[in-house]
Amino acid sequence: MNAHASVRPSAIRKIGAAEIQILWSDGHASTYRASYLRRHCRCALCVDELTGRPVLVPEVIPDDLTFLGVELVGQYALHFRWSDGHSTGIYPFAHLRALCPCEHCAGTSSRA
Amino acid sequence: MFGRKIREEDVLRALRQVVDPDLHRDIVSLGFVKNLRIEGSVVSFDINLTTPACPVKERLREEARRAVAQLDGVREVRVNLTAEVRPHAALDRSALAGVRNIVAIGSGKGGVGKSTITVNLAAALCTSGARVGLLDADIYGPAIPLMLGHQQHAQVRGNRILPAEHHGLRFISMGLFVSGDKPLIWRGPMAHKALQQCLFDVEWGELDYLLVDLPPGTGDVHLTLAQSVPVTGAVIVSTPQDVGLVISMKTLRMFQQTNVAILGIIENMSYYICSHCGAREEIFGHGGVRRASEELGIPFLGEIPIDTRIRRQADTGVPIVLADPTSPVAAAYREIAERLAAQISIVNYQTAPLRIEEVSI
Repeated sequence: MNAHASVRPSAIRKIGAAEIQILWSDGHASTYRASYLRRHCRCALCVDELTGRPVLVPEVIPDDLTFLGVELVGQYALHFRWSDGHSTGIYPFAHLRALCPCEHCAGTSSRA
Repeated sequence: MFGRKIREEDVLRALRQVVDPDLHRDIVSLGFVKNLRIEGSVVSFDINLTTPACPVKERLREEARRAVAQLDGVREVRVNLTAEVRPHAALDRSALAGVRNIVAIGSGKGGVGKSTITVNLAAALCTSGARVGLLDADIYGPAIPLMLGHQQHAQVRGNRILPAEHHGLRFISMGLFVSGDKPLIWRGPMAHKALQQCLFDVEWGELDYLLVDLPPGTGDVHLTLAQSVPVTGAVIVSTPQDVGLVISMKTLRMFQQTNVAILGIIENMSYYICSHCGAREEIFGHGGVRRASEELGIPFLGEIPIDTRIRRQADTGVPIVLADPTSPVAAAYREIAERLAAQISIVNYQTAPLRIEEVSI
Protein backbone atom coordinates (compact mmCIF):
# COMPACT_ATOMS: atom_id res chain seq x y z
CA MET A 1 0.00 0.00 0.00
CA ASN A 2 2.92 2.35 0.68
CA ALA A 3 4.04 2.11 -2.92
CA HIS A 4 1.02 4.23 -3.83
CA ALA A 5 1.07 6.61 -0.87
CA SER A 6 1.79 9.68 -3.01
CA VAL A 7 -0.56 8.81 -5.87
CA ARG A 8 -3.72 10.92 -5.82
CA PRO A 9 -6.92 10.71 -7.81
CA SER A 10 -7.13 13.27 -10.60
CA ALA A 11 -10.76 12.41 -11.36
CA ILE A 12 -13.46 10.37 -9.63
CA ARG A 13 -16.54 9.22 -11.56
CA LYS A 14 -19.60 7.39 -10.35
CA ILE A 15 -20.85 5.53 -13.39
CA GLY A 16 -24.48 4.48 -13.09
CA ALA A 17 -25.46 3.03 -9.72
CA ALA A 18 -22.93 0.23 -9.31
CA GLU A 19 -19.56 1.41 -10.61
CA ILE A 20 -16.81 3.85 -9.57
CA GLN A 21 -13.96 4.89 -11.80
CA ILE A 22 -10.83 6.62 -10.48
CA LEU A 23 -8.22 8.23 -12.70
CA TRP A 24 -4.91 8.47 -10.82
CA SER A 25 -2.25 11.15 -10.96
CA ASP A 26 0.22 8.63 -12.45
CA GLY A 27 -2.13 7.98 -15.36
CA HIS A 28 -3.51 4.66 -14.16
CA ALA A 29 -7.28 4.09 -14.27
CA SER A 30 -9.20 1.84 -11.86
CA THR A 31 -12.79 0.67 -12.15
CA TYR A 32 -14.55 -0.85 -9.15
CA ARG A 33 -17.92 -2.60 -8.78
CA ALA A 34 -19.99 -1.64 -5.74
CA SER A 35 -20.12 -5.27 -4.59
CA TYR A 36 -16.32 -5.65 -4.90
CA LEU A 37 -15.65 -2.61 -2.67
CA ARG A 38 -18.31 -3.72 -0.18
CA ARG A 39 -16.59 -7.11 0.17
CA HIS A 40 -13.30 -5.36 0.93
CA CYS A 41 -14.71 -3.09 3.63
CA ARG A 42 -12.24 -2.70 6.53
CA CYS A 43 -14.60 -1.08 9.03
CA ALA A 44 -14.92 -2.43 12.56
CA LEU A 45 -18.17 -4.23 11.70
CA CYS A 46 -16.53 -6.12 8.82
CA VAL A 47 -13.06 -6.80 10.26
CA ASP A 48 -12.53 -7.65 13.94
CA GLU A 49 -10.73 -4.67 15.51
CA LEU A 50 -8.56 -6.68 17.88
CA THR A 51 -7.66 -9.75 15.87
CA GLY A 52 -7.89 -8.29 12.36
CA ARG A 53 -9.86 -11.36 11.34
CA PRO A 54 -12.62 -10.84 8.74
CA VAL A 55 -16.16 -10.85 10.15
CA LEU A 56 -17.88 -10.23 6.85
CA VAL A 57 -18.57 -13.31 4.72
CA PRO A 58 -17.99 -12.11 1.14
CA GLU A 59 -20.56 -14.53 -0.28
CA VAL A 60 -23.47 -12.79 1.49
CA ILE A 61 -22.91 -9.66 -0.60
CA PRO A 62 -25.05 -9.82 -3.75
CA ASP A 63 -23.31 -9.08 -7.05
CA ASP A 64 -25.96 -6.54 -8.02
CA LEU A 65 -25.33 -4.33 -4.96
CA THR A 66 -25.51 -0.60 -5.78
CA PHE A 67 -24.25 2.67 -4.31
CA LEU A 68 -26.84 4.88 -2.63
CA GLY A 69 -24.20 7.54 -2.13
CA VAL A 70 -20.52 8.30 -2.66
CA GLU A 71 -18.84 11.13 -0.76
CA LEU A 72 -15.36 12.54 -0.25
CA VAL A 73 -13.87 12.26 3.22
CA GLY A 74 -11.74 15.38 3.64
CA GLN A 75 -9.16 15.02 0.91
CA TYR A 76 -7.89 11.54 1.53
CA ALA A 77 -10.67 8.99 1.26
CA LEU A 78 -14.09 7.99 -0.08
CA HIS A 79 -17.14 7.00 1.91
CA PHE A 80 -19.87 4.80 0.43
CA ARG A 81 -23.47 4.10 1.33
CA TRP A 82 -24.58 0.80 -0.16
CA SER A 83 -28.00 -0.60 -1.03
CA ASP A 84 -27.66 -3.22 1.75
CA GLY A 85 -27.72 -0.41 4.33
CA HIS A 86 -24.01 -0.61 5.18
CA SER A 87 -22.21 2.75 5.48
CA THR A 88 -19.46 2.65 8.09
CA GLY A 89 -16.38 2.08 5.93
CA ILE A 90 -13.83 4.74 5.00
CA TYR A 91 -11.63 3.97 1.99
CA PRO A 92 -8.37 5.99 1.92
CA PHE A 93 -7.12 6.61 -1.63
CA ALA A 94 -3.98 4.56 -1.02
CA HIS A 95 -6.17 1.60 0.00
CA LEU A 96 -8.39 2.05 -3.05
CA ARG A 97 -5.34 2.04 -5.27
CA ALA A 98 -4.09 -1.15 -3.64
CA LEU A 99 -7.52 -2.67 -4.28
CA CYS A 100 -7.44 -1.90 -8.02
CA PRO A 101 -8.90 -5.03 -9.65
CA CYS A 102 -7.41 -4.48 -13.11
CA GLU A 103 -5.45 -7.29 -14.69
CA HIS A 104 -2.10 -5.60 -14.11
CA CYS A 105 -2.63 -4.66 -10.44
CA ALA A 106 -4.59 -7.71 -9.28
CA GLY A 107 -1.51 -9.87 -9.49
CA THR A 108 0.89 -7.48 -7.74
CA SER A 109 -0.87 -5.69 -4.89
CA SER A 110 -1.48 -7.13 -1.47
CA ARG A 111 -5.07 -7.40 -0.33
CA ALA A 112 -5.39 -6.45 3.30
CA MET B 1 9.55 60.56 -27.94
CA PHE B 2 7.19 63.00 -26.30
CA GLY B 3 3.60 62.54 -27.37
CA ARG B 4 4.01 58.93 -28.52
CA LYS B 5 0.98 56.88 -27.57
CA ILE B 6 1.66 54.12 -25.04
CA ARG B 7 -0.11 50.92 -25.98
CA GLU B 8 -1.71 48.59 -23.42
CA GLU B 9 -0.12 45.51 -24.97
CA ASP B 10 3.35 47.02 -24.59
CA VAL B 11 2.73 47.64 -20.90
CA LEU B 12 1.48 44.06 -20.44
CA ARG B 13 4.46 42.68 -22.35
CA ALA B 14 6.80 44.60 -20.04
CA LEU B 15 4.95 43.30 -16.98
CA ARG B 16 5.33 39.71 -18.19
CA GLN B 17 9.00 40.01 -17.20
CA VAL B 18 7.94 40.25 -13.55
CA VAL B 19 7.79 36.76 -12.06
CA ASP B 20 6.28 35.81 -8.69
CA PRO B 21 9.14 33.92 -7.00
CA ASP B 22 6.78 31.60 -5.11
CA LEU B 23 4.41 30.68 -7.90
CA HIS B 24 7.09 30.73 -10.65
CA ARG B 25 4.83 32.49 -13.11
CA ASP B 26 4.66 36.05 -14.39
CA ILE B 27 2.21 38.44 -12.81
CA VAL B 28 0.23 38.97 -16.03
CA SER B 29 -0.57 35.31 -16.68
CA LEU B 30 -1.35 34.92 -12.96
CA GLY B 31 -4.03 37.57 -13.44
CA PHE B 32 -2.50 39.86 -10.80
CA VAL B 33 -2.54 43.00 -13.00
CA LYS B 34 -5.83 44.88 -12.70
CA ASN B 35 -7.25 48.33 -13.58
CA LEU B 36 -4.58 49.21 -16.10
CA ARG B 37 -4.96 52.85 -17.12
CA ILE B 38 -2.87 54.88 -19.53
CA GLU B 39 -3.38 58.64 -19.30
CA GLY B 40 -0.95 60.54 -21.49
CA SER B 41 2.48 59.59 -20.20
CA VAL B 42 1.21 58.24 -16.87
CA VAL B 43 0.63 54.49 -16.50
CA SER B 44 -1.21 53.21 -13.43
CA PHE B 45 -2.35 49.72 -12.44
CA ASP B 46 -3.07 47.47 -9.46
CA ILE B 47 -1.14 44.34 -8.57
CA ASN B 48 -3.67 42.10 -6.89
CA LEU B 49 -1.64 39.73 -4.68
CA THR B 50 -2.75 36.41 -3.21
CA THR B 51 -2.28 37.62 0.37
CA PRO B 52 -1.84 40.96 2.12
CA ALA B 53 0.98 39.24 4.05
CA CYS B 54 2.96 38.69 0.83
CA PRO B 55 6.68 38.65 1.75
CA VAL B 56 7.81 39.93 -1.68
CA LYS B 57 5.23 42.63 -2.31
CA GLU B 58 7.68 45.55 -2.31
CA ARG B 59 10.00 43.66 -4.63
CA LEU B 60 7.16 42.95 -7.08
CA ARG B 61 6.05 46.58 -6.94
CA GLU B 62 9.56 47.82 -7.70
CA GLU B 63 10.18 45.31 -10.51
CA ALA B 64 6.84 46.16 -12.11
CA ARG B 65 7.47 49.88 -11.82
CA ARG B 66 10.91 49.55 -13.38
CA ALA B 67 9.73 47.30 -16.24
CA VAL B 68 7.03 49.78 -17.28
CA ALA B 69 9.20 52.88 -16.73
CA GLN B 70 11.59 51.60 -19.42
CA LEU B 71 8.92 51.88 -22.13
CA ASP B 72 9.10 54.76 -24.56
CA GLY B 73 6.94 57.69 -23.60
CA VAL B 74 6.34 56.69 -19.99
CA ARG B 75 6.99 59.53 -17.60
CA GLU B 76 5.35 58.14 -14.47
CA VAL B 77 4.28 54.69 -13.21
CA ARG B 78 1.80 54.33 -10.36
CA VAL B 79 1.60 50.84 -8.85
CA ASN B 80 -1.14 50.15 -6.34
CA LEU B 81 -0.85 46.95 -4.28
CA THR B 82 -4.09 45.15 -3.45
CA ALA B 83 -4.67 41.65 -2.13
CA GLU B 84 -7.31 39.03 -2.42
CA VAL B 85 -6.72 35.72 -0.66
CA ARG B 86 -7.73 32.93 -3.06
CA PRO B 87 -9.90 30.19 -1.58
CA HIS B 88 -8.67 26.63 -1.30
CA ALA B 89 -10.10 24.72 -4.27
CA ALA B 90 -12.23 22.32 -2.28
CA LEU B 91 -13.72 24.79 0.20
CA ASP B 92 -17.27 25.74 -0.65
CA ARG B 93 -19.40 23.90 1.89
CA SER B 94 -22.31 26.12 2.76
CA ALA B 95 -21.65 26.46 6.49
CA LEU B 96 -18.09 27.60 5.86
CA ALA B 97 -18.83 29.33 2.55
CA GLY B 98 -17.10 32.56 3.60
CA VAL B 99 -13.94 30.82 4.86
CA ARG B 100 -11.20 30.72 2.23
CA ASN B 101 -8.52 28.69 3.98
CA ILE B 102 -8.47 26.40 6.99
CA VAL B 103 -5.00 25.98 8.47
CA ALA B 104 -4.31 23.41 11.18
CA ILE B 105 -1.60 24.14 13.76
CA GLY B 106 -0.29 21.00 15.40
CA SER B 107 2.59 19.73 17.49
CA GLY B 108 4.00 16.39 18.51
CA LYS B 109 3.69 17.06 22.22
CA GLY B 110 2.25 19.61 24.60
CA GLY B 111 4.14 22.56 26.04
CA VAL B 112 5.92 23.61 22.87
CA GLY B 113 4.08 26.95 22.80
CA LYS B 114 1.66 26.07 20.02
CA SER B 115 -1.17 28.28 21.27
CA THR B 116 1.13 31.28 21.80
CA ILE B 117 2.45 30.87 18.27
CA THR B 118 -1.07 30.50 16.85
CA VAL B 119 -2.34 33.64 18.57
CA ASN B 120 0.64 35.73 17.46
CA LEU B 121 0.51 34.41 13.87
CA ALA B 122 -3.20 35.23 13.75
CA ALA B 123 -2.47 38.74 15.03
CA ALA B 124 0.37 39.19 12.50
CA LEU B 125 -1.83 38.07 9.58
CA CYS B 126 -4.57 40.36 10.85
CA THR B 127 -2.34 43.44 11.05
CA SER B 128 -1.26 42.80 7.43
CA GLY B 129 -4.90 43.32 6.47
CA ALA B 130 -6.21 39.75 6.26
CA ARG B 131 -9.46 38.63 7.87
CA VAL B 132 -8.50 36.02 10.41
CA GLY B 133 -10.40 33.57 12.59
CA LEU B 134 -9.11 31.32 15.33
CA LEU B 135 -10.58 28.03 16.42
CA ASP B 136 -9.18 26.79 19.71
CA ALA B 137 -9.67 23.05 19.29
CA ASP B 138 -7.32 22.19 22.13
CA ILE B 139 -10.26 20.95 24.15
CA TYR B 140 -8.05 19.52 26.83
CA GLY B 141 -6.38 22.81 27.71
CA PRO B 142 -8.02 25.73 25.92
CA ALA B 143 -5.77 28.76 26.41
CA ILE B 144 -6.70 31.16 23.64
CA PRO B 145 -9.43 33.15 25.48
CA LEU B 146 -6.88 33.94 28.19
CA MET B 147 -4.21 34.92 25.68
CA LEU B 148 -6.60 37.23 23.87
CA GLY B 149 -8.01 38.73 27.05
CA HIS B 150 -11.58 37.70 26.37
CA GLN B 151 -13.20 35.13 28.60
CA GLN B 152 -16.91 35.78 28.31
CA HIS B 153 -19.22 32.90 27.51
CA ALA B 154 -20.13 32.20 23.91
CA GLN B 155 -23.09 34.16 22.53
CA VAL B 156 -25.84 32.31 20.74
CA ARG B 157 -28.22 33.82 18.20
CA GLY B 158 -31.00 31.51 17.05
CA ASN B 159 -29.28 28.20 16.41
CA ARG B 160 -25.94 29.81 15.49
CA ILE B 161 -22.97 30.51 17.77
CA LEU B 162 -21.39 33.95 17.43
CA PRO B 163 -17.61 34.02 17.56
CA ALA B 164 -15.99 36.32 20.10
CA GLU B 165 -14.25 39.34 18.58
CA HIS B 166 -11.21 41.01 20.08
CA HIS B 167 -8.11 42.70 18.62
CA GLY B 168 -9.78 42.36 15.18
CA LEU B 169 -9.75 38.55 15.43
CA ARG B 170 -12.81 36.32 15.45
CA PHE B 171 -12.41 33.32 17.67
CA ILE B 172 -14.16 30.40 19.25
CA SER B 173 -12.74 28.27 21.98
CA MET B 174 -14.01 25.30 23.82
CA GLY B 175 -12.95 27.44 26.77
CA LEU B 176 -15.87 29.76 26.00
CA PHE B 177 -18.36 26.93 26.45
CA VAL B 178 -17.35 26.08 30.01
CA SER B 179 -16.31 27.91 33.16
CA GLY B 180 -12.62 28.64 33.57
CA ASP B 181 -11.51 26.29 36.30
CA LYS B 182 -13.45 23.17 35.32
CA PRO B 183 -11.29 20.64 33.53
CA LEU B 184 -12.73 19.13 30.39
CA ILE B 185 -13.05 15.41 30.60
CA TRP B 186 -14.48 14.24 27.32
CA ARG B 187 -14.56 11.02 25.49
CA GLY B 188 -13.70 10.84 21.79
CA PRO B 189 -17.25 11.16 20.41
CA MET B 190 -17.88 14.29 22.49
CA ALA B 191 -14.69 15.91 21.24
CA HIS B 192 -15.73 15.01 17.69
CA LYS B 193 -19.14 16.63 18.18
CA ALA B 194 -17.67 19.74 19.82
CA LEU B 195 -15.23 20.34 16.96
CA GLN B 196 -17.94 19.87 14.34
CA GLN B 197 -20.08 22.37 16.19
CA CYS B 198 -17.20 24.87 16.24
CA LEU B 199 -16.76 24.43 12.49
CA PHE B 200 -20.32 24.30 11.23
CA ASP B 201 -22.51 26.05 13.82
CA VAL B 202 -20.39 29.16 14.23
CA GLU B 203 -21.17 32.33 12.30
CA TRP B 204 -17.64 32.73 10.92
CA GLY B 205 -18.59 35.12 8.13
CA GLU B 206 -15.92 36.11 5.60
CA LEU B 207 -12.42 34.92 6.57
CA ASP B 208 -9.19 34.69 4.60
CA TYR B 209 -7.60 32.36 7.14
CA LEU B 210 -9.13 30.22 9.86
CA LEU B 211 -6.34 28.93 12.10
CA VAL B 212 -7.20 25.81 14.08
CA ASP B 213 -5.16 25.27 17.23
CA LEU B 214 -5.15 21.49 17.61
CA PRO B 215 -4.55 19.49 20.79
CA PRO B 216 -0.99 18.11 21.01
CA GLY B 217 -0.19 14.79 19.41
CA THR B 218 -2.44 12.79 17.15
CA GLY B 219 -5.98 11.92 18.05
CA ASP B 220 -9.70 12.17 17.54
CA VAL B 221 -9.76 15.92 16.98
CA HIS B 222 -7.16 15.77 14.21
CA LEU B 223 -9.00 13.01 12.44
CA THR B 224 -12.34 14.79 12.78
CA LEU B 225 -10.85 17.94 11.28
CA ALA B 226 -9.26 16.09 8.34
CA GLN B 227 -12.48 14.16 7.70
CA SER B 228 -14.94 17.04 8.07
CA VAL B 229 -13.40 19.84 6.04
CA PRO B 230 -10.87 20.29 3.24
CA VAL B 231 -7.91 21.64 5.21
CA THR B 232 -5.62 23.84 3.10
CA GLY B 233 -2.64 22.62 5.06
CA ALA B 234 -1.00 22.11 8.42
CA VAL B 235 1.78 23.83 10.34
CA ILE B 236 3.84 21.93 12.88
CA VAL B 237 5.33 23.69 15.89
CA SER B 238 8.35 22.04 17.45
CA THR B 239 11.11 22.77 19.93
CA PRO B 240 14.72 22.09 18.90
CA GLN B 241 14.97 19.12 21.21
CA ASP B 242 11.63 17.51 20.42
CA VAL B 243 12.21 17.25 16.69
CA GLY B 244 14.93 14.66 17.02
CA LEU B 245 12.39 12.42 18.66
CA VAL B 246 9.73 10.54 16.81
CA ILE B 247 6.80 12.57 18.12
CA SER B 248 6.79 15.40 15.60
CA MET B 249 7.25 12.84 12.84
CA LYS B 250 4.14 11.02 14.03
CA THR B 251 2.07 14.19 13.69
CA LEU B 252 3.61 14.78 10.29
CA ARG B 253 2.74 11.31 9.08
CA MET B 254 -0.81 11.60 10.31
CA PHE B 255 -1.33 14.72 8.22
CA GLN B 256 0.30 13.05 5.22
CA GLN B 257 -1.91 9.97 5.56
CA THR B 258 -5.00 12.16 5.46
CA ASN B 259 -3.61 14.10 2.45
CA VAL B 260 -3.28 17.37 4.36
CA ALA B 261 -0.48 19.45 2.82
CA ILE B 262 2.35 20.38 5.19
CA LEU B 263 2.76 24.16 4.93
CA GLY B 264 5.84 24.20 7.08
CA ILE B 265 7.42 23.78 10.47
CA ILE B 266 8.26 26.42 13.09
CA GLU B 267 10.99 26.14 15.72
CA ASN B 268 9.84 27.61 19.02
CA MET B 269 12.06 28.25 22.07
CA SER B 270 14.95 28.41 19.63
CA TYR B 271 17.29 30.32 21.95
CA TYR B 272 17.20 32.65 24.94
CA ILE B 273 18.66 36.13 25.13
CA CYS B 274 19.53 37.10 28.69
CA SER B 275 17.69 40.28 29.63
CA HIS B 276 20.64 41.37 31.79
CA CYS B 277 23.74 40.77 29.73
CA GLY B 278 22.34 40.09 26.24
CA ALA B 279 24.15 36.75 25.94
CA ARG B 280 22.48 34.23 23.71
CA GLU B 281 21.85 30.81 25.28
CA GLU B 282 20.74 27.89 23.12
CA ILE B 283 19.01 26.04 25.91
CA PHE B 284 17.52 23.20 23.87
CA GLY B 285 20.18 23.26 21.16
CA HIS B 286 19.43 25.31 18.09
CA GLY B 287 18.75 24.61 14.42
CA GLY B 288 17.47 21.04 14.81
CA VAL B 289 14.14 21.88 13.24
CA ARG B 290 15.70 23.57 10.21
CA ARG B 291 17.90 20.53 9.59
CA ALA B 292 14.94 18.16 9.95
CA SER B 293 12.84 20.26 7.59
CA GLU B 294 15.59 20.15 4.97
CA GLU B 295 15.85 16.38 5.27
CA LEU B 296 12.09 15.98 4.98
CA GLY B 297 11.68 18.54 2.21
CA ILE B 298 9.26 20.64 4.26
CA PRO B 299 9.36 24.46 4.23
CA PHE B 300 11.05 25.92 7.32
CA LEU B 301 8.93 28.91 8.35
CA GLY B 302 11.22 30.39 10.99
CA GLU B 303 12.22 30.42 14.63
CA ILE B 304 10.97 32.18 17.74
CA PRO B 305 13.26 32.73 20.75
CA ILE B 306 12.36 32.29 24.39
CA ASP B 307 11.46 35.76 25.60
CA THR B 308 9.77 36.45 28.90
CA ARG B 309 7.82 39.27 27.24
CA ILE B 310 6.05 36.77 24.94
CA ARG B 311 4.82 34.91 27.98
CA ARG B 312 3.96 38.07 29.89
CA GLN B 313 1.96 39.48 26.99
CA ALA B 314 0.13 36.19 26.54
CA ASP B 315 -0.81 36.26 30.21
CA THR B 316 -2.14 39.81 30.03
CA GLY B 317 -4.30 39.10 26.98
CA VAL B 318 -2.49 41.21 24.35
CA PRO B 319 -0.23 39.16 22.04
CA ILE B 320 3.27 40.65 21.70
CA VAL B 321 2.76 41.24 17.96
CA LEU B 322 0.09 43.80 18.93
CA ALA B 323 1.52 45.02 22.26
CA ASP B 324 5.06 45.69 21.02
CA PRO B 325 5.02 45.61 17.21
CA THR B 326 8.53 47.07 16.86
CA SER B 327 10.21 44.39 19.00
CA PRO B 328 12.47 41.84 17.27
CA VAL B 329 10.16 39.04 18.39
CA ALA B 330 7.14 40.70 16.74
CA ALA B 331 9.20 41.06 13.57
CA ALA B 332 10.07 37.34 13.73
CA TYR B 333 6.36 36.49 14.01
CA ARG B 334 5.50 38.73 11.06
CA GLU B 335 8.15 37.06 8.91
CA ILE B 336 6.80 33.63 9.76
CA ALA B 337 3.24 34.81 9.01
CA GLU B 338 4.39 36.08 5.60
CA ARG B 339 6.14 32.82 4.74
CA LEU B 340 3.07 30.89 5.86
CA ALA B 341 0.77 33.06 3.73
CA ALA B 342 3.09 32.47 0.75
CA GLN B 343 2.96 28.69 1.26
CA ILE B 344 -0.85 28.81 1.44
CA SER B 345 -0.94 30.68 -1.89
CA ILE B 346 1.38 28.07 -3.43
CA VAL B 347 -0.78 25.16 -2.26
CA ASN B 348 -3.90 26.86 -3.61
CA TYR B 349 -2.33 27.27 -7.04
CA GLN B 350 -1.21 23.66 -7.12
CA THR B 351 -4.31 21.90 -5.79
CA ALA B 352 -6.89 20.83 -8.31
CA PRO B 353 -10.36 20.54 -6.80
CA LEU B 354 -11.38 16.97 -6.11
CA ARG B 355 -15.02 16.14 -6.71
CA ILE B 356 -17.15 13.20 -7.70
CA GLU B 357 -18.68 13.34 -11.16
CA GLU B 358 -21.92 11.47 -11.72
CA VAL B 359 -22.15 9.74 -15.08
CA SER B 360 -25.47 8.13 -15.93
CA ILE B 361 -25.64 5.11 -18.22
